[in-house]
Amino acid sequence: MTTLTFPLSRIEGHARVVIDVRDGSVQSAKFQATEFRGFKYLVKGAPAEQMPVIVPRICGVCSTAHHVASVKALEDAFSITPPPLALTIRELLMLGQLLQNQATSLFIFTMPDRLGVDSIFDVDETGMDGDTLAGVAARALHVRQAGTHLITLAGGQFIHPVKAVIGGVTGGISAEAADAMRVELADALPVACALFDTYWAHSVALSERLGTWGDDAPACYLTAVGGTHPNYYGDFIRLMGCEGGDVCAQFPAREFRTFLTVEEAEYSYAAQTSYQGNVLRANSLARANLVDSLDTPCANDYLQRFHREFGRPAHAILLFDLARGIELVYAIERAIEILRESLDGAETRLPYEPRDGDGYGLVEAPRGPLIHHYRIENGLIAQAEFVIPTVHNVLAIERALRVAAERYITPERVNLELERAVGRVVRAFDPCIACATH
Amino acid sequence: MKVTMKRFAVLQLSGCAGCEVALLNAEAWVEQYKLVYMPLVISAEDVPEVDVLLISGGVRTDEDLYKLRRAVKNAQQVVAVGTCAISGGVANLGDRDEVRALFLAEGDRPHVPRLLPKSHPVDAFVAVDLYVPGCPPTSELFMAVLTNPEAFQASKIVCQECGRRKLQDMRPKHLLGFQQGEVLPDICLINQGYVCIGSSTRGGCRAPCTRAGHPCVGCRGPSDVFIEKESEAWLTSIKRVFASLTDVPDEEVGAALRSPQLALFLFQFSDYADNKTVGGDRQPRPKEKVL
Repeated sequence: MTTLTFPLSRIEGHARVVIDVRDGSVQSAKFQATEFRGFKYLVKGAPAEQMPVIVPRICGVCSTAHHVASVKALEDAFSITPPPLALTIRELLMLGQLLQNQATSLFIFTMPDRLGVDSIFDVDETGMDGDTLAGVAARALHVRQAGTHLITLAGGQFIHPVKAVIGGVTGGISAEAADAMRVELADALPVACALFDTYWAHSVALSERLGTWGDDAPACYLTAVGGTHPNYYGDFIRLMGCEGGDVCAQFPAREFRTFLTVEEAEYSYAAQTSYQGNVLRANSLARANLVDSLDTPCANDYLQRFHREFGRPAHAILLFDLARGIELVYAIERAIEILRESLDGAETRLPYEPRDGDGYGLVEAPRGPLIHHYRIENGLIAQAEFVIPTVHNVLAIERALRVAAERYITPERVNLELERAVGRVVRAFDPCIACATH
Repeated sequence: MKVTMKRFAVLQLSGCAGCEVALLNAEAWVEQYKLVYMPLVISAEDVPEVDVLLISGGVRTDEDLYKLRRAVKNAQQVVAVGTCAISGGVANLGDRDEVRALFLAEGDRPHVPRLLPKSHPVDAFVAVDLYVPGCPPTSELFMAVLTNPEAFQASKIVCQECGRRKLQDMRPKHLLGFQQGEVLPDICLINQGYVCIGSSTRGGCRAPCTRAGHPCVGCRGPSDVFIEKESEAWLTSIKRVFASLTDVPDEEVGAALRSPQLALFLFQFSDYADNKTVGGDRQPRPKEKVL
């Protein structure tokens, strides 16, 4: 038996891929998460009301999603519904997170794979074709930064935000601040579209070079956004079966155990989810498959083109990346719309009475549906569960890795393309290991 | 010109990557520095020779320790950034009798790095030249680290950067708790009954949380006055501020300060000044080494 180990970079956190080969035949392909901090244990005994400050620290890339999910879980436990303005500001927060994340994943994590460089920051030095790639790193950071500014505006800080509180948000957004943000986003929109067009073209070139978009067997898809007017604030989880078509199951966060099987693995600090024995997929491709149309013009054009060119449901691995670009554009357009509304109203939070019991909070994080569940006893956390989007994708990642391994490993030799393929496959799922292991 | 660019690397141990994300937002370094190692954004096997090595995250696994020891030997200057690298961070909330057994059970897996008994600060194992507290440090602080830390201008405490007015005649009798109440703009959060500890928390963050209406939880750690002292000195000072601005009983303030979300940050420096707790021979980190 030969064991091939691939360290991973340009993803969030610490993980590696381990492929076992015997006589040229792939025995297994494992995705190992190699870090662990133990949030589900360390929050035990903490006052429940402090969770919105503590749990964003699960992940600095996804802190907004944890912040909002945490507040929603506590509001569920305390039976309080925040005023409409607070919900709008939280939607803005989630859009800022989406914009920031998709820009990072597209341009910093996966663009180098399309260009054959180690990092986006190397592109300028290599003197690649001037027009579309000139200053690509600076432009990508610029677009990404608009997302961080949006989170700061709606959340106070762009990492570990603080503005969502139980019952609402700490305050509104002044017309002046909203206008300035709108201008910044309007400036970022054409830059983002141009970068995405470049990305799309280089992805096509990559697929032609490889002879595949990363074909893989069908999977079930999972998201917490609706089929039209997707709201990343999240309401229900929707499941699409392997054969596509209509939503085959729809359920609130508190019923997740009825539909999702979450199991620990002894070779990794991350668990793995399945649905009735089927491989699940969350993240951008799940949303592209489940969403009929987007209610903003540029993003909807991209989505319709995506559906036309790749069918629905689409299953090829590299399409995760393209779908991310559609959402990058959507986040900017939708945020611009919201910022036109009046956001400095007086009622931003309602009082609440803390009480014991169970609370569930659901958001659609950039990587998929995220659930926080807290059991509260005497005002303290007695049990905490974090159902993490990356965990839904672990089995799908391993299956795709196996497909890639079988493609590049023969009894005669291991094609060196395998190492690059492993990176591309894992990055397509944009896994977050800090979240997955928490 | 590029030949003379200073080279820097970022080693991420067990943490949340928030520090790295904050650094990415400090985009000006792209023009001035050559980033040669940072697995989050670059495919590179190992830390090469660098002028500056930034380390984020705590030492939680044997693999963290191994990477740390390997990396520092190639660095001219070692900088610990963020709460986890400075104190072990949020993961240290698990270093309690009630939950320790649960962690030990998790560590029983084969094929993954072994968990150490607790999350350690970086300087438990290697010498650190500069500490940059914050959870995470702001992008501005990252730029200061890379360009000229000595030239960084900041107020001594968050209070001075916050801009909210302190009133002598608005004296709450009890604390509101972190999540309750409607926040009045422009008025000190302590006057409004919030447990805000910006009055003795190190400045330099420009007070984004209090400006957004959320009390300071002290992620930048103590100001220079308290950084070499035991945590008790800091707690006493916070209580004194509450006594001068509110009529909240001393015990109520004391109880509120002993909460996990503050404990994350309150003790990031002070443990080192208190050999009784640590039981070691470590010296306090000198304030000259803290940005």
